[in-house]
Amino acid sequence: MSAAVGAERPQVVSHVQQALSYTVFDCKWVPRSARLLCLGSAARGTGLIQLYELHGARLELLREIEKSKPIKCGTFGATSLQQRYLATGDFDGNLNIWNLEAPEIPVYSVKGHKEIINSIDGVGGLGIGEGAPEIVTGSRDGTVKVWDPRQNDTPVANMEPVQGESKRDCWTVAFGNAYNQEERVVCAGYDNGDIKLFDLKTMSLRWETNIKNGVCSVEFDRKDINMNKLVATSLEGKFHVFDMRTQHPTKGFASVSEKAQKSTIWQVRHLPQNRDVFMTSGGSGSLHLWKDSEGSEMGVAGSVSLLQNVTLSTQPISSLDWSPDKKGLCVCGAFDQTVRVLIVTKLNKI
Amino acid sequence: MPVWLREHSWRQTLTAVYLSLPLRGARATPANIFCSEQYLKVSIPPFLFEAILYAPIDDTNSTAKIGNGNIFFTLYKKEPAMWDALTLENADKEKLQYLRENAVLKAHEKAKEETEAKKITKQEHKKYALEATMKLEEAERKRIEDLKEKERQKVAKELELWKNQQKNGDKYKSIQKKGEMHQEIEPLKERKSEKISKTRISNEGPSKTRLKSTKGSHGSCSIFSQNLKEEQLPAPRAAATIKVNFTPRVFPTALRESRVAEEEEWLHKQAEARRIINSDLSELEDLKEEEKNPDWLKDKGNKMFAMGDYLGAVNAYNLAVRLNNKLPLLYLNRAACHLKLRNLHKAVEDSSKALELLTPPVPDNENARVKAHVRRGTAFCQLELYTEGLQDYEAALKIDPKNKNIEKDAEKIRHLIQGTVQSS
Repeated sequence: MSAAVGAERPQVVSHVQQALSYTVFDCKWVPRSARLLCLGSAARGTGLIQLYELHGARLELLREIEKSKPIKCGTFGATSLQQRYLATGDFDGNLNIWNLEAPEIPVYSVKGHKEIINSIDGVGGLGIGEGAPEIVTGSRDGTVKVWDPRQNDTPVANMEPVQGESKRDCWTVAFGNAYNQEERVVCAGYDNGDIKLFDLKTMSLRWETNIKNGVCSVEFDRKDINMNKLVATSLEGKFHVFDMRTQHPTKGFASVSEKAQKSTIWQVRHLPQNRDVFMTSGGSGSLHLWKDSEGSEMGVAGSVSLLQNVTLSTQPISSLDWSPDKKGLCVCGAFDQTVRVLIVTKLNKI
Repeated sequence: MPVWLREHSWRQTLTAVYLSLPLRGARATPANIFCSEQYLKVSIPPFLFEAILYAPIDDTNSTAKIGNGNIFFTLYKKEPAMWDALTLENADKEKLQYLRENAVLKAHEKAKEETEAKKITKQEHKKYALEATMKLEEAERKRIEDLKEKERQKVAKELELWKNQQKNGDKYKSIQKKGEMHQEIEPLKERKSEKISKTRISNEGPSKTRLKSTKGSHGSCSIFSQNLKEEQLPAPRAAATIKVNFTPRVFPTALRESRVAEEEEWLHKQAEARRIINSDLSELEDLKEEEKNPDWLKDKGNKMFAMGDYLGAVNAYNLAVRLNNKLPLLYLNRAACHLKLRNLHKAVEDSSKALELLTPPVPDNENARVKAHVRRGTAFCQLELYTEGLQDYEAALKIDPKNKNIEKDAEKIRHLIQGTVQSS
């Protein structure tokens, strides 16, 4: 399929490959720059943050920061464009916000969870959307907590299991529906296949469903608009696209599901410049680029078509991030201890 | 006898001989003409013309033209010389024969050579075609590679361009910042001192002061802009908790569709086992610990059987079966007890159940199976179902052909059957 060069399909070009000496769990572009961050865990059990800059055909290491606990995930979503503070969740359940210019002491720190923070998301920063900047973390202890960097020690929202209920690991969280100062929604995916949608304005559970496979990654197509589309990926190579525009009182949201590959789909990321295009990364080391087409009527989910697929690695690609500044530039980190910078071409023609 | 054609006419030049042969009404095709170096034959049954030529000719280049009721040969001489005559006159029969055979042989060889040559040319053509296709494919592949390379380079260039733009943009911003900073430093210094004194007075924890002051020292202009923004940002949300219920799942691992069937099976088996243990719990409470062990009960049953207390043995086996209904020996022994008690139907049932549990039939459970068959056979015979009994005895014999007792009993039963057959 990737040999169809003559046709006007987007091509995934591998631009730079960088071998690392540690396991990389998350990679993120630093907004408004050609720099990227790799977060991970070194062999001796400490956390590493590495800052790279893209120089021609290679990555130059600008800075390396070592922390006491391995770092699982990070986001720039809740900081302003001038500050560009990184919020990270680590293996011990600590949420820290770092100023990368002076990383010795965190700007904000809280031991938010009893177990590893699996996923983190931020909203309200980077000049996108309105409302207070907030960070949400999902952890293996079954709770999802929303933090405001101005308020220490206590979360502003806490989604925890009922007393006496056995907990399920929360694997992924995402913000959405943040189109004005009051509205905000958090979507969380758990390992037993549950997807829950919490409304932060009314502080209630708005919708839940079970997709029969552990949920690896959820993402709204845009955080800062009225809820439009939610993509949830899971084990067994399946992903579901939910149409979030209309909610049926009993049936919930309409969805379309695709089985893309035989292995787990680890991540889904929407292209910041075109919310109908998203990329999924799989356990077989492959990346698939999809285009979503709108449903004809309200409440009818559209269909998803595969634009391109490419296999880059033999190990799962666990993290993926599009650059918000250059269309088609993305970075992915895989469990074979390499981080790759890719360029997806011909995205203008979609 | 062929009819000889003799009215031929010929003339010659130094290099060629022209022979004209009229056919008396016969139609000629190229197949009828046979020519070799020194021998020429035209055979159109019943007509025949043959000639042993005076000198050898070049038969590959020579031609024959068929038309107008005659054949016109143009034969090119191998050696340019004038012939005295067309044919060799004083050729005797043997020579003729020899020449004929030679000619045929030569023709064969020529044919062979021709086929060989054809084969070789064919192979060469094939090879050429293959190479041509390979070249085409290579060219195609190269074209695709080139396209890809071009894309890559284009994209790399764009990236460089964009990066430089970024850098320049950043430079401007930093210059701006510096300018602003110089302007703002004076009033900001005042603000900072205000803030620090405020926090000291408000008695907050030491961590907070540290936080505030670190925030204040970095990016002084950003405090300025941030303060503005903070006034626009809403206050942090009022803290609240949402209670969550999960879809129940027994296993601590993640849910996978492909594993659901296995998990169901496992749970089912666990439930079964638990049920058996827990059923009739009230009755089993007064029993001692050892009495709940099926093996111990089996031993007890065996002892009672040996002592002749058949009812007691049956009781023991019953309890054991309730605890664990998958042990074939329990049924086997209970069958023996029933036989002694003359509960023949029960004996048959129990031996059947034992046999069921003793599948697959392997050498290990041979003994047990023999016993089961024998016991069932005995029960059948005592019920006067002799044919079934014989079947069982024969099955037992099949498993253990060396057992004399079984043989004897089988014989007895056979006689009995034959006896009844005769009498009825």
